Amino acid sequence: MRRLLLVLAAGAPLAVQACEPPAGFALRADSARYAVFFRADPPAIGVGNYFSVEAVACAKTGGAAPDGLKVDAQMPAHRHGMNSRATVERAAPGRFLARGLMFHMPGVWQFVFDVQRAGDTERATRDLEIK
Amino acid sequence: MRRWIAIAMALAAVAPAAAGEAVRFDEREVALILRHGPWPQRPARDPSNRVSGKPAAIVLGRALFFEHKLSPAGVVSCAHCHAAWRSWTDARAQAVGIGELPRNTPSLWNVGLNRWFGWDGGSDSLWSFAIRPILHPREMGADAGHVATTLRADRELACRYERAFGKPPERSTANDERVLVNSAKALAAFVETLVSGRTPFDDFRDALERGEETAAARYPLEAQRGLKIFAGRGNCGMCHFGANFSNGEFHDTGIPFFVKGGVDPGRHAGIERLRADPFNLLGKYSDDWSGETATKTRHVDAQHRNFGEFKTPSLRNVELSAPYMHNGRFATLRDVVMHYSEIRPDRLHSDGEALLKPLRLSSGEADDLVAFLRSLTDPLAERAAAALSADSSRCAASTSR
Repeated sequence: MRRLLLVLAAGAPLAVQACEPPAGFALRADSARYAVFFRADPPAIGVGNYFSVEAVACAKTGGAAPDGLKVDAQMPAHRHGMNSRATVERAAPGRFLARGLMFHMPGVWQFVFDVQRAGDTERATRDLEIK
Repeated sequence: MRRWIAIAMALAAVAPAAAGEAVRFDEREVALILRHGPWPQRPARDPSNRVSGKPAAIVLGRALFFEHKLSPAGVVSCAHCHAAWRSWTDARAQAVGIGELPRNTPSLWNVGLNRWFGWDGGSDSLWSFAIRPILHPREMGADAGHVATTLRADRELACRYERAFGKPPERSTANDERVLVNSAKALAAFVETLVSGRTPFDDFRDALERGEETAAARYPLEAQRGLKIFAGRGNCGMCHFGANFSNGEFHDTGIPFFVKGGVDPGRHAGIERLRADPFNLLGKYSDDWSGETATKTRHVDAQHRNFGEFKTPSLRNVELSAPYMHNGRFATLRDVVMHYSEIRPDRLHSDGEALLKPLRLSSGEADDLVAFLRSLTDPLAERAAAALSADSSRCAASTSR
């Protein structure tokens, strides 16, 4: 019986999701349990230019995809964030599109992803220098 | 490759040793300096304004800019505060229209490059910004009906309006608001043309980029030293970023925001005003059907720290636009420099940004920074502005009806 349950669990399509970077997603942010692979559109983020972020979030050890994602950014050295608020929509399970980001200064910005799953939130960050 | 030549040259030195101590710029400073150009920028059309860049609209806008009849009392025009011969400002600490106003009149040089308009960014397009003083009870004190009536009644203005928009101002009062908006779009088309020319700094910056040491060395040594402070330990280029020396956003720089009878909330109120503005880019009067230009309006975020923040002004021609800051608090550029030299971080918002720190400049360093700021002056600016006074050409007489 136990063996049968294991076989059934392994076959369940929603239970396991590969956590590999999709092609073209060069940037990565990590939290303890999740990886967020992302890319900007346009790809070169310029000071003062609005851009979007396409993100794919997954559990590092496999499992169901996160069901929500918040996207923000800040300049830790200057103790301020963006002057715009990104809106995020879920394009597919684990796949999100954030619009309306803008970095208004050159320097090191930190992307902040709040990955949500079943009421839990975990934060993944990634620093990026904008020139 | 060219960039590396420039960097190598800059890292060495760009001033002859005989002229004084050579100024050396590190790689980060060179990168920031190069971002302040090239200049002038290629003129960009405003997709939200269908007559942006159209010659006939520029002609109408120029006529309206100097037209006193736009104010019901017939005494205040746009040029009343934005005087051409004063670098498109008024030399007052605070503006005076029909009544007194709490803020300094900003110069209009290069205003078309802005993202937000006004010290508080309460407008998201140049044309909606042009509507604000027309309707403001202490600036021009008009309403849409008065503007439309004036356009219909004045043969010259009506003729120019027809050339700009393809038909005369609509007769029905139901269209008054449309005539007001079109007038503002023509005003914006004119103001977009107020682009300042090249400056000694631009020559230096381009020489740096091309790796032309001799040409770069013509830039006065004191201005080079000032630029070194500006791009280096002063961190001025973080906010005064890019070709127009402004990142177009809002900051608390420790200037008191108390005004007669209250406080000036700056950006905080600007965002509220923007959202409530029927003429904003999300409204029916934007000509940008793609909605692209409204991205900033759709996503603007109101935060507590916006209280007391004011827009970073451009520094091009800054020498010509005294007095300074949003409330005209400082009479001279040196006063401004000394403010940043001695700034008190405890006077900044506790939840504000940790960017401003006292520079503790020596007297000579303050002079150098002022010399750099003066090198941002277009030597032909005053002449160019004077040439743009009221247009005396005729439209109605030359049009056969």
